[in-house]
Amino acid sequence: MKSAADAKKLLNRSILIKEVIELRFHWRKYHTPYLKTSFKFNVTAFGSSLTIPQQVERIERFSFLPYDGDIDLKNPDVVFSLYEDYNDFPNQGLPVPDAPIRLFWGPFVAESSRALIQQYDLKKRGYLGTTSMDAELSLIMSNVALARPGSLVLDPFVGTGSFLVTSSHFGAYTIGSDIDGRQIRGKGNGKSIESNAKQYSLEDRILGTVVCDIAHHPWRDCELWDAIVCDPPYGVRAGAKKIAVNPKAPPKTSIYNRDGGYKLPQCVPYELDDVMADLISFAAKFLVPGGRLVYWLPTLTDSYSPKDVPRHKRLRLLDNCEQSFNKWARRMIIMEKLKADEPDLDLDALLIEIEKGMQTKVALDEKDMKVQGDGLVTLIDNPAHAGFRKGYFKE
Amino acid sequence: MLMCHVKGCATDNFPLRIEDAELEQVEVEFNEDFMRRMINKIEWGAFVQTAFALGVDQLPATVPENIDTEFLQRIHRVAMETKLKEGKMICNGCKHVYPVTDGIPNMLLQETEV
Repeated sequence: MKSAADAKKLLNRSILIKEVIELRFHWRKYHTPYLKTSFKFNVTAFGSSLTIPQQVERIERFSFLPYDGDIDLKNPDVVFSLYEDYNDFPNQGLPVPDAPIRLFWGPFVAESSRALIQQYDLKKRGYLGTTSMDAELSLIMSNVALARPGSLVLDPFVGTGSFLVTSSHFGAYTIGSDIDGRQIRGKGNGKSIESNAKQYSLEDRILGTVVCDIAHHPWRDCELWDAIVCDPPYGVRAGAKKIAVNPKAPPKTSIYNRDGGYKLPQCVPYELDDVMADLISFAAKFLVPGGRLVYWLPTLTDSYSPKDVPRHKRLRLLDNCEQSFNKWARRMIIMEKLKADEPDLDLDALLIEIEKGMQTKVALDEKDMKVQGDGLVTLIDNPAHAGFRKGYFKE
Repeated sequence: MLMCHVKGCATDNFPLRIEDAELEQVEVEFNEDFMRRMINKIEWGAFVQTAFALGVDQLPATVPENIDTEFLQRIHRVAMETKLKEGKMICNGCKHVYPVTDGIPNMLLQETEV
């Protein structure tokens, strides 16, 4: 980072960083600005915790510093941050070391937006469902989708609207759709996506919701969305469905209710690999050039292979980031639509890109891949996540 | 931005005709750059026609050559701040009725229409 201003700008959108401090090493120059200023100390340990007396002991080690300014815990001119890094040994099954493996010390520059995780904590949110996405991951997804003032973001599996909230927090106009209108409207107890928008004072950016089926959607052909952010149904907590004649359902005598409205349409299960493939095709068509698709792909750890991730000739894969739950995982997939003047990604380039992501070498060639008319590229064989529901419940 | 998507319904399926409309004025943050981009994406004729039919505004038949902030704010009021709270959106082609309740359009088709 070139300057404190740059650091502040970056940290304003950062969820995973805690704060930035300035590290300086030249003794005389280092102390000059702080000789008369009021100050305070913060002590933080990573991978361990320090009691108050331990923190005070750490601070007193710095008593040799020639600082004559007052100690001011409320409004200091400068905050010195001391970081003790104990590594994450406990996560690797090892004991916490007695002494930190690294120390950092320096004047505080900027704090990140980690506090947003508390602000949007699900525990404090009025309207929730079984599939609401936690605040930290929602914020990160809206971030990598580049949600910003003046951008238009769609969540086509909106559920209770987690991504509308976080994307609109960052300034974006948001619209959600879902095949299940009951989730959008709530149970009539005043709690709904709309009430969440009010709770966070985001009504002037959360534009609205539409009940529709992504497999048969009503959006007019147009490169409309700057980003599509969603968590498609995995078929575990929320069963995915799409409109179609269901041979098992009793045939309707009329499509109208007694009040003249339509009856609910018949639906059939919407297989996970079809959901994902439709989502990619939708994004490739309806995103603006340079727009981003960010979604979760659930996978079974044993059978997952990077070649399962559906590709598209107009979408560049930017990242594929795993959140592991041991037997299964979900992957945050980030794709960016090519600019209008960029040529289609060709199959060779896609195959090389896929193989690069593989841990074990798997020979792939064009015969393994199926290219659809619109540019969607998937495996000829079903990808491993096609059997996700079955595999998940077998565990 | 919504059109009729009944299978085989390809003529007169946009714009949807709005009937029994109950409108609501809402407040939406104005973003000039966004509105300038949207003007190029709006099907202008359909937009003007719908705004007129609802009695919201009488907009020029073609997009003016020089678009100033004032004009963008006017479009913002119509496109972003006028919400269809209750009503019906009807396809002029196949006559499918899409109901709007509590500001949420129901765009689900019947299983025989997909």
